[in-house]
Amino acid sequence: MVKRCFNPDINSNNALIDPHRSMSISVEGKTEDATVSLGQYILIEGDDDDNPFVAQLRKLYTDGRNMPCFSKKTAVVQWFVRMCEVPQNKRKLLGRDPHPQEIFFYQDRSCDNEVDGETILGAVQTAPATPRTPRHATPSIPSRSAPARKPGNVLEEARARLHVSSVPESLPCREQEFQDIYNFVESKVIDGTGGCMYISGVPGTGKTATVHEVVRSLQQSAEQDEIPHFHFIEINGMKMTDPHQAYVQILQKLTNQKATPDHAAALLEKRFSAPAPKKETTVLLVDELDLLWTRKQNVMYNLFDWPTRRNARLVVLTIANTMDLPERIMINRVASRLGLTRMSFQPYTFKQLQQIITSRLNRVKAFEEDALQLVSRKVAALSGDARRCLDICRRATEICEHSGSQKNGSGLVGMSHVMEALDEMFSSSYIAAIRCASVQEQLFLRAVIAEFRRLGLEEATFQQVFVQHQALCRVEGLQPVSVSEGLAVCQRLGSCRLLLLEGSRLDLFLRIRLNVSQDDVLYALKAD
Amino acid sequence: MALIKCPGYPEDTLRSLAERLPCRETQLATLLALMGQPDQYSYPSVFIYGHRATGKSHVVLSIMKDLELPHASVDCVECVSSGLLFHQVLSAFFGLDAAALLPRCPSLSDFVRLYKQMSSNSPATQTRYIILDRAERMRDMDFSLLPALLRLQELVNDNVTVILLSEIVWEKFRPNTGCFEPLLFHFPDYSKAELVQILSWDHHPSYTPELYASYINILLGVFFSVCRDLRELRHLAVLNFSKFCEPLEKGEAKESDIHKLWKNIEPHLQRAMQTVYLREVSSVQWEQQQMDEKEATTLRVLSAHAHIELPYYSKFLLIAAYLASFNPARTDRRFFLKSHGKIRKTNFLKKHEKTSNHLLGPKPFPLDRLMAIFYSVVDSRVAPTASIFSQISSLVTLQLLSQVGHDDQLDSPKYKCSVSLDFILAISRTVGFDVVKYLYDFL
Repeated sequence: MVKRCFNPDINSNNALIDPHRSMSISVEGKTEDATVSLGQYILIEGDDDDNPFVAQLRKLYTDGRNMPCFSKKTAVVQWFVRMCEVPQNKRKLLGRDPHPQEIFFYQDRSCDNEVDGETILGAVQTAPATPRTPRHATPSIPSRSAPARKPGNVLEEARARLHVSSVPESLPCREQEFQDIYNFVESKVIDGTGGCMYISGVPGTGKTATVHEVVRSLQQSAEQDEIPHFHFIEINGMKMTDPHQAYVQILQKLTNQKATPDHAAALLEKRFSAPAPKKETTVLLVDELDLLWTRKQNVMYNLFDWPTRRNARLVVLTIANTMDLPERIMINRVASRLGLTRMSFQPYTFKQLQQIITSRLNRVKAFEEDALQLVSRKVAALSGDARRCLDICRRATEICEHSGSQKNGSGLVGMSHVMEALDEMFSSSYIAAIRCASVQEQLFLRAVIAEFRRLGLEEATFQQVFVQHQALCRVEGLQPVSVSEGLAVCQRLGSCRLLLLEGSRLDLFLRIRLNVSQDDVLYALKAD
Repeated sequence: MALIKCPGYPEDTLRSLAERLPCRETQLATLLALMGQPDQYSYPSVFIYGHRATGKSHVVLSIMKDLELPHASVDCVECVSSGLLFHQVLSAFFGLDAAALLPRCPSLSDFVRLYKQMSSNSPATQTRYIILDRAERMRDMDFSLLPALLRLQELVNDNVTVILLSEIVWEKFRPNTGCFEPLLFHFPDYSKAELVQILSWDHHPSYTPELYASYINILLGVFFSVCRDLRELRHLAVLNFSKFCEPLEKGEAKESDIHKLWKNIEPHLQRAMQTVYLREVSSVQWEQQQMDEKEATTLRVLSAHAHIELPYYSKFLLIAAYLASFNPARTDRRFFLKSHGKIRKTNFLKKHEKTSNHLLGPKPFPLDRLMAIFYSVVDSRVAPTASIFSQISSLVTLQLLSQVGHDDQLDSPKYKCSVSLDFILAISRTVGFDVVKYLYDFL
């Protein structure tokens, strides 16, 4: 496990001696001075007088380090670019017709963002462009007005830490996999070559989290110039409406261009055939690979073919659930390009799950040791899904909180709470549904089983079952139901999937099958 | 007649409504009770079922029209796509402008969105009704449409009720995933007395109502056992009334001579049952014939036209196909070979071949067998030219033969003969061939 180092954002600027909020300047042609204040858009002297530069005032201070008597006002600004300053060929990339007065954010390191206060010409009103439908608007949730509530007690804190979305401090039990992926990507980045890697494993074994962790630490070491810089792109098969959208997304993340899938494929082909610009490696993460399957498999083929190009410098990491996916769905020329760099994530054992929860909780004492062990043993026995494990723990804290209000226990999540949560999560709802069904519905299920026994088959028509149902009604001393009522009962059971039915048009001839095992039905019916 | 009372609606309109809907008082009262007062919320969906011509749509639409309730009446047969349905509903409730706002291929969510938007501008002061006639077609449309319409009140949050009219019971409608159960409401068939009452309603102005009622009684005496469809009976009553009145016009009988009139009309009605009722003779022809005073059987009826002129060899091909379809293959030796040994009929056929093949229907046969039988029944030498084989395929296009199993068109195709015995008898008579002698069933 590579330790990550946290760099607190302390840009100690000693020069900032005398910060101001506003400054008065003399404007040419006017007698009184104008005032510019922080946040305002200002005009700054440029190469020619007719077209001054536009910027936004960020900081204003008096630079008096050397000679206090000749103190000079310095402004830190954020530069903006007007449309007329944008080169003709770059305008097309915008993809729309901008307002002539519109200004654009300018982010180039080549311009110094500290300017002399004397060069400021005056304030400028940036008129908002005519309202138009935002093209690149992304829907976002409104930012909260009040800060998020701090967890009130231990259980709430534990719940927040156990939430699947909360990013853990570390990823325990995946050190080996982390190291392998890290070494693979790092070697490719350092050598400036490309390659593919296939990562498989059942859901909830930490595949995506580990790869993200790898990329994060690689990016950190790139920032510290330990390894060359690289470009990270992530696409997810599940988030695409069509496999060919993968090209579009990759192109957009690579060059900010928008194109149709075909055009994007051609552009990417050109990009990866030529030497990579700036000799920068691209790391591409493809999540949910199996959804990129097409009949001709051209998307997969391209994804695995590009890294083999001489100067493409592309590293492709693919993630899917099944181990034999390349053998099962890929044609040979695709599977061979994917290569044999495979990695499979084993399901977590109970010890690992326990460690994960402990590391998440990190000194927050909310669980009894035995309770944790029970959860991890149960989950490990069934699936080894860490997400499921976290969900159960969270549910157990909720149950504990509810029961705690009635009788004051130790305040910790105990065995009984965990048992209850496990029962909720794992017990089949079918048996509960049969127990809660009406008398006629239970009778109908009995009739289904009786008819199956008589026929020796696992399938019967409604007509046959209905005869049994009527006989059972008489045995039970109930009024025999009509065909309509019998069908209504049958179709209600079918709509809650206890039975599997054909279309209702067949009425008497619709075939019935049980969706639960006969033993389950008998167990549920016998219990009362 | 019990006085129908329903608060919120004008009383005299209700009275005239009840008079216009004879024999449907209980249904009318129940429906009005269901609807409640105009501003009250009604049940989200009502499913009305009953046989053909039991007054389902008539009663519902009369209520809507007379009480001037906002309603959209849609015949589901017309709605080949759900978009047409949405269009009709929106234009009936909010005008054509609202319906024009629908996109070209509107989805259910478009409809609900637009409905909500419109109903927020003009909220319902009265319950709105959507009447879907012949609702069984709804099952063939988008699978989510029927469940959505059943709980439309909930979806659009407006005072709207969907009334479904159908001849099919609700059990055949219910989707597999379940749905909001509508209120089921049955319209029973009319009894004989009720039919007399309704049919006597439109009596002829130049004769007394009693005469017309006795005519209806005679008509029902003939037709009631085969037909209880009000529309059909009304049609027959109109067609034959002039014949009934003939003796009166000629002065041969008086209105009180019911027996004489019955003797006159009864054979006429019996004949009508075999001709007009089966649409063998069109009603125009029937009226024409009554005016010309011709005998009814002189007209060639529709089924007598079932004779087709065919080429010579086509006739033999068809006969051969008929023989191949209705004879067991094992008996071919016996019928078509020139010198066969003595084979007794019994004990050499399988059990299923013993039952009459004419009851079981035609069986498929391969082309080889057809050609073998064809050469055996045709006396002259026939070359297997292209024209013979093209005649087989044109018999298929004429639907006299039908091809079975469309997988193999060229290599050993199989056919079935799809003509009746009468037809083949007529054909064989024209070429002087005795088919019955070669049919195993008639041996």
